Amino acid sequence: MKTTAVVGLALSALLGSAFALAAPQAGADPKMSYFVTSKAIGKGGNLGGIEGADRHCQALAAAAGAGNRTWRAYLSTQARPGKPAINARDRIGKGPWYNYKGDVVAKDVSHLHGDTLDQARLGNNITKLTNLTEKGEIVPGLNDGLNPRSREYAYMLEQTVSNRHETLTGSQPDGRAYPPGKDYTCDNWTSEANGTSDNLRENQGANVQVGMSDRNGGGNGSWNSAHGTVGCSQQNLARTHGIGMYYCFATN
Amino acid sequence: MKKTGAVAALTLSLLSGVCVALAGQQMPMSFFVTSVGVGKGGDLGGLAGADAHCQMLAAATGSTGKTWRAYLSTQARPGQPAVNARDRIGTGPWYNAKGQPISQNQAELHGDTLEMAQRGSDLYKQSALTEKGQLVNGAGDMPNMHDTLTGSQLDGRAFADTMDHTCNNWTSSGMGTAQVGHSDRTGGGNTSWNSSHASRGCSQADLVGTGGAGLFYCFAVN
Repeated sequence: MKTTAVVGLALSALLGSAFALAAPQAGADPKMSYFVTSKAIGKGGNLGGIEGADRHCQALAAAAGAGNRTWRAYLSTQARPGKPAINARDRIGKGPWYNYKGDVVAKDVSHLHGDTLDQARLGNNITKLTNLTEKGEIVPGLNDGLNPRSREYAYMLEQTVSNRHETLTGSQPDGRAYPPGKDYTCDNWTSEANGTSDNLRENQGANVQVGMSDRNGGGNGSWNSAHGTVGCSQQNLARTHGIGMYYCFATN
Repeated sequence: MKKTGAVAALTLSLLSGVCVALAGQQMPMSFFVTSVGVGKGGDLGGLAGADAHCQMLAAATGSTGKTWRAYLSTQARPGQPAVNARDRIGTGPWYNAKGQPISQNQAELHGDTLEMAQRGSDLYKQSALTEKGQLVNGAGDMPNMHDTLTGSQLDGRAFADTMDHTCNNWTSSGMGTAQVGHSDRTGGGNTSWNSSHASRGCSQADLVGTGGAGLFYCFAVN
């Protein structure tokens, strides 16, 4: 009886490995509840508001066979008169979240953001290798496809292997919105305006806070809050190696 | 017109970046991952042996005038207090072999405040270069060599329990274990550079077994 179980186990293990060899992976793991958008909307920081960004997540997920879940863009909005701020961390359910391959990227909201000092120091499991699109692609990161034109949007569309690690979040490291005032969200995801300077640190105008999908570069390697941009146009995002991608999480 | 201007400015800034590098005006190296281990697993000849390895590798690249320390902790023994890796490496800032920043100071390197820890430092796969300026193989590369000996907790301090976390204070190539970080900050379910998991054992084969090669971090104190 016990032997039968062992044989059965060995058999299924063999079948499993044979299957794995025969067909790498037909599509997204059924557990997939997290991805980086494979495609930008194409209007810079204008995502059609946070609702438009959610719809983009949902459409990409549906095309990947994961439309049965409720998808939310990991984006914050800043407070406006009569309209409170929205924190990205409050939009995405409780986790755990799994990537295309079924690997856990974070167990819960606290693990994702490092809510305690030990958690923050240890970090979550978001890396270049786990940060896959809904199609299972690795997002090109720092030093990938080095080319003098790698900061031009047109080139980035042509050469899909070039660095595009900057990921829109509009959020602070803890996943919460910035206070009103300076723009960190491309006017709550409706603006394609240019900034006031081509220098990141001097830009006082249209701006968006980005994270690094490959956890490399940007002065710290933060996945959700490394630095700002030189504006909100598609070309402004490209200037610092972004193309307007963002993170999508399933709330269920 | 505007586009041409922007492109020209961009090209110029890229070019000037290259010129700076060529002229050798970059910040001198004060951080590297050892390009090779000592070769005897967790037996580095103690802290002194590990420091000498750092100093030798640095000297071979023409680095002069710097005092190098291995980023390693040792555990307390009767009559011998613990040594914390973080207390050995000076105050920063530290730069890699290409003059790129690694960290501004101790607090950023170790994430001493919650926001600093959430954000992280400039130490990642593309910056954690060897003394020769080369990338260290990481997760997904063959062979993976990202397990980096530290013997340290997340805050850069020695472990206080009675378990071995330092291959017997860097003298064992058999019994014991060593705490390792990941130079590519990838794998093990976390992104810690200095305290990701324990090694299987202290032999060279044990270190290789989990994606290591007995490499460690070297920092210049000056």
